[in-house]
Amino acid sequence: MPSWVTITLIMAAYLALTLAVGLRAGRGRSASVAGYVAGDRQFGLLVMYFVTGATVFSAFAFLGGPGWAYSRGAAAFYILSYGVLGIVPWYFLGPRAARLGRRFGFVTQAQLLVGRFPSRFLSALVAVLSILAFIPYITLQMRGAGIVIEAVTEGRIPLWAGAAVAYGIVLIYVLVSGVAAVGWTNTLQGIFMLGIAWILGLYLPWVLHGGIGPMFRDILANRPELLELPGLTASGDPWNWGAYSSAILVSAVGLTMWPHLFMKAFTARDDRILRRTVVLFPTFQLFLLPVFLIGFAGVMVVDQLAQPDFILPHLVLSVDLPVIVVGLFCAGALSASMSTGDALLHATASVAVEDGIRPFRAMGEATQRSLIRILVVVAGAISYVFALDEDQSLVVLLLSSYGIIAQLAPPIVAAMYWRRATTAGAVAGLLAGSAVTLFLFLNPALRPWEIHEGIVGLLVHLPVLVGVSLLTPPQDAGHTRLFTHPELGEEPR
Amino acid sequence: MSIRMIRLAVAGFFVLVLLAVIWPGALLLRRAEPFVLGLPFSLFWPVFLIVLSWAVLLVLDAAENRARGRGDRSPEGEG
Repeated sequence: MPSWVTITLIMAAYLALTLAVGLRAGRGRSASVAGYVAGDRQFGLLVMYFVTGATVFSAFAFLGGPGWAYSRGAAAFYILSYGVLGIVPWYFLGPRAARLGRRFGFVTQAQLLVGRFPSRFLSALVAVLSILAFIPYITLQMRGAGIVIEAVTEGRIPLWAGAAVAYGIVLIYVLVSGVAAVGWTNTLQGIFMLGIAWILGLYLPWVLHGGIGPMFRDILANRPELLELPGLTASGDPWNWGAYSSAILVSAVGLTMWPHLFMKAFTARDDRILRRTVVLFPTFQLFLLPVFLIGFAGVMVVDQLAQPDFILPHLVLSVDLPVIVVGLFCAGALSASMSTGDALLHATASVAVEDGIRPFRAMGEATQRSLIRILVVVAGAISYVFALDEDQSLVVLLLSSYGIIAQLAPPIVAAMYWRRATTAGAVAGLLAGSAVTLFLFLNPALRPWEIHEGIVGLLVHLPVLVGVSLLTPPQDAGHTRLFTHPELGEEPR
Repeated sequence: MSIRMIRLAVAGFFVLVLLAVIWPGALLLRRAEPFVLGLPFSLFWPVFLIVLSWAVLLVLDAAENRARGRGDRSPEGEG
């Protein structure tokens, strides 16, 4: 049997296992919308930990990370630097959002915002922005899955077909089981990814260069520019400090504002679990180290790969690994893509229905559930079209969506911590910030010092939020107190 | 030390971490050499910060749990 057949079979077995776990997860859960979207608020620590980790680390980290390390060197280190900074505020924001969720029955981020700032327009705006940011993120995951499958089957299964098969499976289990499937499959996929990344990250430098130290010595002697911050651009010129620093800032601000992550606050069983997830998060960050080692292992071995995102599968296939290891690797990379993709699809559809449609049109639970399912398919189809089309780097796709998502941070923080914030202020700030971000995204040459458009957006967003809030009449004190002091009048948990 | 002081110290620590990884702080740490544990300094440094941050978070979490056990709740406190 040729080795690619064996590898494909291992991958197929893994996909079948994922599907089985995903389908089983749907049993014994209530048939309400809260059950489908928020998993009945019943996730324990083990599941929460892997859900968060596997959701944050995706094809972006697994393929994009090595791709950047290989082609742009130290530029990739920005990915190491933002994660912990981004998650720390969640130690306080998360439990507070969770408490408000329990009290008022919120299942999405926009519901929390609108609870504090009553405005259907705000709800729709958040829905539109979230979907705008989600589509490139899903596209990235689909391309990732397609890349892995195309590479290991030596082009016999092209990117479009591979992405279709992997995401067909994701669609099935998300449609049947909702967020419960996302929880259990991510647990499986998270364990898998971590294991595979560390094994390959240590093994590849050793087998190709005789160790990690000798590998970097070799790179330093031949390509020293790769090891010095802020690294290189895609075309190989030195990258700019403004771009590097603002990439860290915008990603840190945006990290927990992703609706699919934020909504975890509404699925956690208790606050303790949310806090522990934050404390354990750095362990997931450390998993980027082997991922970068894999990319660097390719530098002196592989010449000028046209698409750097292929570096990981390319190396794995070129170093004569046992077939079973290659198969397991591919399953790991697929997990990385699918474990984020499923959560994204599910969140996109939930947000579209809960925040974009329901405030304007009353509908029954059953209708809502079917509408979410339909939109899961629609979001998948749109992203799939983009996935076929583009030659974009996986990291660049994600970095662009962060600009929009970071704009959700000021109103969310204001809703829970700033009594004087008003609805007009929140709406005006969000509009101004997103308009600036989108404008600069479309006209990148106008950015000062190549600073990320999302950061410039925030610099406009904050003064507008504060200024308009102070110029409009304050909200009722009894109302704001419910949000800024949620612990009052409640039994401690 | 009161829980407020600990929170303040932790916040200060993370502000320092932020300043160290972006311009201009990162200018001091951008070099490939010296190598530490086989890693170039520019890579070792962010990895080291992750480990250090983890330790700081563990301390914060222990302190928060103790404070909750005592019922020492400041306005920012979550029960």
